[in-house]
Parts: sequence; C-alpha cells; structure tokens
Amino acid sequence: MASVPTGARWIALAAVCLLLVGTAVGIAQSGAKPEPTDVKHLYDTSCANCHGTDGRGHGPAADPLNPRPRDFTRGWYKFRSTAADSIPTDDDLYRTIEVGLPGTSMLGWKGILSEAQMRALVAYVKQFSPRFASERPAPVAVTRQIATSPESIQKGRAAYESLGCGACHGEGGAGADAGALKDDWGNDVYAPNLTEPWAFRGGRSAADIYLRLKTGITATPMPSFADTAKDEDLWHVANYVVSLARKPVWEMTADEIKAHYASQAQKDAANPVQRGRSLVSTMACGHCHTPIDREGRALPGLTLAGGAKFRMVVWGDIVTPNLTSDNETGLGRYGDDDIKRAFTRGIKHDGSRMLPFPMGWAAYAHLTPQDQDAIVAYLRTVPPVKNQIPPPARLGLPAFLIAKFQMLIGGKDFPIVIFPGNAGSAGNPAASPAAEQR
Amino acid sequence: MKRIVKWVALVVVILAACGFVAFLYFIPPLTSMAPEEFVNGEGAMAPPVDGIADPAVRAIAERGRYVLLTTECTGCHVTPGPQGPIPEMYLAGGRTFVTAAHGTVVTRNLTPDKETGLARRTDEDVKRVLRSGVFPDGRPISHMAMPWAQFSNWSDEDLHAVVVYLRHIKPVRHEIPPPAPGTPDAIVPGAVEVVYGSDAGKK
Repeated sequence: MASVPTGARWIALAAVCLLLVGTAVGIAQSGAKPEPTDVKHLYDTSCANCHGTDGRGHGPAADPLNPRPRDFTRGWYKFRSTAADSIPTDDDLYRTIEVGLPGTSMLGWKGILSEAQMRALVAYVKQFSPRFASERPAPVAVTRQIATSPESIQKGRAAYESLGCGACHGEGGAGADAGALKDDWGNDVYAPNLTEPWAFRGGRSAADIYLRLKTGITATPMPSFADTAKDEDLWHVANYVVSLARKPVWEMTADEIKAHYASQAQKDAANPVQRGRSLVSTMACGHCHTPIDREGRALPGLTLAGGAKFRMVVWGDIVTPNLTSDNETGLGRYGDDDIKRAFTRGIKHDGSRMLPFPMGWAAYAHLTPQDQDAIVAYLRTVPPVKNQIPPPARLGLPAFLIAKFQMLIGGKDFPIVIFPGNAGSAGNPAASPAAEQR
Repeated sequence: MKRIVKWVALVVVILAACGFVAFLYFIPPLTSMAPEEFVNGEGAMAPPVDGIADPAVRAIAERGRYVLLTTECTGCHVTPGPQGPIPEMYLAGGRTFVTAAHGTVVTRNLTPDKETGLARRTDEDVKRVLRSGVFPDGRPISHMAMPWAQFSNWSDEDLHAVVVYLRHIKPVRHEIPPPAPGTPDAIVPGAVEVVYGSDAGKK
C-alpha cells in the first residue's frame, strides 16, 4: 500500500464510496415501500391514528368512530376462526388487515401494503397483549358446509327464531330497537341490520356467517352458539341470513331507489333520536363543538360540550357553545325554535348574528324540516355536561379598525387559529383510567 | 372666499375620513346581509342533478347532493378568493390548514377534472378517504383538518351517493400542492391548527 501514490488511494476510496452509495440507492428504489424491519414506523403512521401508539384503541382520531377501534392490549378479537375465549390465529389477524372490516373505518390494506408488511403488522399487533406469548389459538371445528336450498333456509328461519337472534337483530333481520347495546368496554354497539350484508364486518358469505355464529363476537353481546345449537342448524341460519339480503341502491332501478329513500324517511320520522344522532355525528358537529388536546384527541367527557377556542382576527376570540342538554350552560336553556334558528339562520337566542363561518348554518338551512327536528330531538338526549362557555372576546375598536385596514386595504390573510383545550368552566380533564381503557 | 374653500375642504376631508372608518367597520357586510342571502348562495353553488340522463343515477346523485350540501363540504373545499368562496370554483379546493399532527395540508380538488381532480381516482379510493382517512398511496389524512372519522358513520349507501354526485359536478382545473411540513405552534404559539383564507392551488 505504501507504494501507491496518495492521489490514487483517494480515487480508489471515492470509487468504493460511490459504489456503496449507488447500491444503497438502488436497493431503496427497488423496494419503493419501507422494509418491514421498520414495523414500528409503519404501525405508527398507518395504524396509530385510530389504535394509538400504545395499541389501546384510543388514538387521536378514535373518538368519533363507531365501532370504536380495537384495543389490542386485551388480546380479544372479534373476527376469528377460533373458540369463543381463544386468541385468534395469525391468519385471522392477517385477513382483517388485508381485507379490512366492511362498514367501518378499518380499511383493507391489500394493494397499499405488501404481504411482508402486513405480516409484520400482525406480529407487531400481537405483542401488545401477553396472551399471545402464553396461549395458543384453538381453532373451531368447521363441519362440512350445507349448501343453500329453500329447505335449508326454512330450517334456518326456525333456528333463528328459536335461538332468539331476533331479540337484537329484529324479526327478519332488519334490526330491532334493542336499546343501547354495550360491549365489554362500555362502548355503544349496535346489532347489524342483517338485510345489508355489504356492511358485514367479517364477510357476507355463508361460511363467514357460520363462523360468526360458531365463534361469537368476543366482548360484545353476540354470543357463540358452538355449545348451544346444533352445528347443522348454524349452517341453516347462515343460509337464512344470506337469503335476507336486500338490494343495495346501486343495484336498484330509479323507482326502487325513490321508494327506498321514501321508506327510509318514514323510518327516520318514526325514530327521530336515532336519525338525529346519525346526523350530528356525520355532519361533524363534534369536530368543533368537542374540545381537543394537542394531538387532536377529544377531551374525555366533553363530547359536544363546546369549549374549543377559535381566534378570528378581526372578529375576536369565539368559543364553541355547549350542545349538551345541560339546563344552565347547554342547550337545555333554549327552546326548539331557538336551536333551529341558530343552526339554520345563524341567529343566536338573543337575536345577535353569527358570522357565516366557521359555523356552516347557511348549509344546514338546507336540511329538511324533519331532519332539523331530528337533530334537536337527539341533542335533547345528550347527557348534560356543565361547561359554561365564555362570551366572545372582541378586539378593541382601534385594534379592530387597524386589523380591518390590513385585511381590506393591505390584503392580509388573517388565518383562523384554533387552540387546544377547553376554554369553558369544566377545565381540562385528564384522561380518566376508564377512558384510557377504551 | 379663501376661508370658505378652506372650511369646505376641511368638511370634505372629515366626511371622507368618517366614510373610510365606516367602510372599515361595516365591510364585509357579514352580519348585515340577510341570512337568507347566505342560505340561497350556499344552495345555488351545488349544481342540480337534472342533467343526469340515467334516472337511477340521477336519484342517487340527488341524495348525494343533499348529504354533501348539508354536511357543508363547501366550508373547506370551495376555493377561497379575496371576497370569500368563489362559486365558480365549487369544491375545487385550495384552502390551507396547518395541523399539529400532520403538517401543512391543502384541501383537495373534488371536481371530476382529469388531471387535477377526482377523475384520477377510483370510487374505492374516494370512499377510503371519506371513511378511513387514507390516501391511495397509504398516507394518512389529518383528522383535524378533514373530519373523515365523523364521515365514517355515513351508511355505505350514503357514502356511495356522495361519490356519485361528485362525479357529476363541473370539472375545474386546479392543481393542489402536496402536503408539506409545518406546525401551527410556529405561526401562533399554543395553536393546534391554523386555517388560511387564501388559495394555495394553481389554476
């Protein structure tokens, strides 16, 4: 080496470096997606938004979701091929990640993640619960499938009735007013409408439905019928449930669609609280009327209780009102017409006006009278939370005029600024142990 | 004579100053315009479905229009202009959100434009965004800017209806920049989200 001139040594070194960098770049480009070795990063970016970095199912986006995201720390899984108390198999977990849970926010990751990445996520999710280290999955014995036939469906209908399925799912599977069902975490759950199989979480085939009957849906009111029903009856019930499917709107004719929406409106009119709950949820009222922490997570116990502060130069600091039924600080103080006038005309109970933003009253004015009534009916049932909201804090006149000058003449874009925390009297509750367990 | 001119000039200047202050005070007339004007403006922005030939598609799109209108998608997705939302840029996006967890994001162009809008996306892609907050490439969407977690509670049929309606609105060419880093704290200390009222897109 000593005889090699220094310059040549440097050139050789540079060449080796270039080769190494080139190889690294080549490897990075050949696999466009991150390697599964970085599974924590993959989980934190793809899953933690809902399931939380600690796997407890209370990620920042979890609060509005129904059903709630899974808490991985207990090792209880709904959609399995294993006995009622058993942990799922790896393939059960893989299937959920791959095809998702229809009708929920859990998407199928097939086509977005590679098989290796999804397998790595299965392993990562398992390590949140000690059960996977100490227990083995106990697959149920799946008997030979009984092909569907009018006779089998007839038997299935009889078994559906004798097993009491209708108590939650309603006669004919179209849903029953079973009251608020709860899962073992205390979250609201509802019995699916069995005539809408496109939203079956675990799949819509007879074999999928048979498995749900056989294994139960753990930690929910849906029991396992493995020991309480004859196995062949479970196949018959599965065939019966498959036969209940109605047409979805995307397969209907125009007349059928109109009739369907009309009958839906009739059902909504008969059950305004349920319709109102759905509207308040999907119109994202809680997006502004529930205060959040720095990660955007809803503060526990303050759902719809207002308290989020919006700074709108030039109009001042405005805190979102308390929409719960509380008589002193919430909507309990106001009449139905006051509430409707506020969210459809932007006129407050005292006659003062709201700005046309960020509260979208000009859009909500287009709700049918029936839907407006449903929203009020539901808001009346939201449990009261005492959270006194401070009045708007306006800018002083000189500051207002100066800011207006900057905005109108200078063309300055004053952003709307949203602050975390609750500006109302209830303060900022820390996540309670109960809330954390969800 | 000179004195009169001086006085007149003084009065004119004072009146002009008062007028200017009044202009600053009352413009924009957000709380002096009748609420119905805003309500009608909102309804007029959402195109009717009469032009859709297939009666079944038309019936579904009508439902989608109702859901989309009453959810106020316009609040964030109509392109903002100096005088407020631009009706001709209905759902063409461009409003900037700086969020604590997900950086700077700009509302997307939801019109069926071939190069910059939803014509590039499948129904499944759009539904995945609305229900799961995940872009086709797997990137997560800020739930603080876009309330997808709430929209996840739409029934499958309403979700479908929204997508059908979006396929039938006027395509608008408006390129939206990709997400970028950024933190609201750096703009206003203590803030969790900052929302701008100017257009970040390219026409």
